[in-house]
Amino acid sequence: MFKGLPLFLLLISFTVQAEQWPGEQWPTAPKITGPAVEALEAYAFPARDDNTRLGIRTDALLVVRDGQIVYERYGAATTADTPHLTWSISKSLMATVMGVAYGEGLFKLDDPVAKFYPVLEKHPAIKMADLLHWASGIDWQEDYEYAPLKSSVVAMLYTRGHRDMAAFTADHDSYAPAGQAFRYSSGDSNLLAAALKTMVGPQRYPDYPWTALFDPLGIRHATWETDATGTFVASSYAYLTARDLARIGLLMERNGRWNDRQLLPEEWVAFNRQPFGGYKADQDEAVPGGQWWLNRSAEGAPSPWPDAPPDTFAALGHWGQALYVIPSERLVIVRYGDDRDGSYRHNELLKRVLGAVRP
Amino acid sequence: MKLFRRLLLVLFVVLLGWGWHERENLWAFPDIISAYTAKEYCSCRYVMNNDAEYCRGYVKQWLPAELTDNAAQKLVSASGMGRINSAQWQGERQGCRLNP
Repeated sequence: MFKGLPLFLLLISFTVQAEQWPGEQWPTAPKITGPAVEALEAYAFPARDDNTRLGIRTDALLVVRDGQIVYERYGAATTADTPHLTWSISKSLMATVMGVAYGEGLFKLDDPVAKFYPVLEKHPAIKMADLLHWASGIDWQEDYEYAPLKSSVVAMLYTRGHRDMAAFTADHDSYAPAGQAFRYSSGDSNLLAAALKTMVGPQRYPDYPWTALFDPLGIRHATWETDATGTFVASSYAYLTARDLARIGLLMERNGRWNDRQLLPEEWVAFNRQPFGGYKADQDEAVPGGQWWLNRSAEGAPSPWPDAPPDTFAALGHWGQALYVIPSERLVIVRYGDDRDGSYRHNELLKRVLGAVRP
Repeated sequence: MKLFRRLLLVLFVVLLGWGWHERENLWAFPDIISAYTAKEYCSCRYVMNNDAEYCRGYVKQWLPAELTDNAAQKLVSASGMGRINSAQWQGERQGCRLNP
């Protein structure tokens, strides 16, 4: 009966050994080469014009397959040691930090946010899940550059809101009942950061992203800026090297597990990757899950990145910042940029990376 | 002519009403350029550790801003549209923050 067991154990130990994880450094595999890699570089790294600032301007491109670096290139001032601004990738990072708090049992998805952040009592119906879906119903204007006078996000980061961003958000009126409609909002993300402060307490809070997430993953040089009340600017201001951001990607690719430790509950990652039901087709550039973007079709519309597998999901930020995760391809891609004209296309990059890594 | 004056008056009243309605946004608006420049230059220079020349190009906007970088204190001030704002580096983990 136990005849097969030693062989079984041997096989198990082989599979465990075969799985690559970064220690202090990333393992590297032979670099991918060939015409498909040249096609990828032709797209991602065209000649850069710093006067016009037109076109695709990639600062970093890092491809990790099976837990090993297979491609890495930097542009302009950025190097492997640069903690690059991630802009709205920060939102997905905060969701990952919150996932650890969720695993500690510090909150439930249907908890009212006002339970942790009483300033929000003007909006008592908003639940944690609603913020995570960008569905608070708060009347927020996210436009960055085209409506500067009315932009809630510009006012939050630079003028009326920068001292206390969560309170600035809470002070807005509603336009819809909580949990019903999607409207992308940096304010929603910063309310999450404010709620976290009560959950973990003011003593643990300033170090919590490090103790909960960055340290266990071996991320040594992260910066996360706060507002004047010490609340993390979860919407915009986390800085990581490309290699360190890829560690978050690998954690997500492997369902919240890091080596033999289940850092995020699997149900948390499943929530991140579940499309929000209140999203209408083409409301945004991809389908929102729980503070992550999904390559899923909504209401019969084509999926946002048709050349990438349907299980592709991403953290996306202003000016072309992106962390793509494709579990079915065992692939993590970090792309930092300084795109000022919006000509960069996620689908085109994904298509060319897939072409370069597939045998 | 009478009609024209009346139209002008109506337009003026509408403008006044809009200005009152948007008074908070209008008052805050001129701060955007200098606050953006001070904060993002500070982070470009002292968080991302890019060189000064690169960071000046990085924060360049369609409206001009004057920038002063006190490297010893990692304190960055910027002025534009008649307003001045400054940002201060706080530490390795906290990065830069606009001064109140």
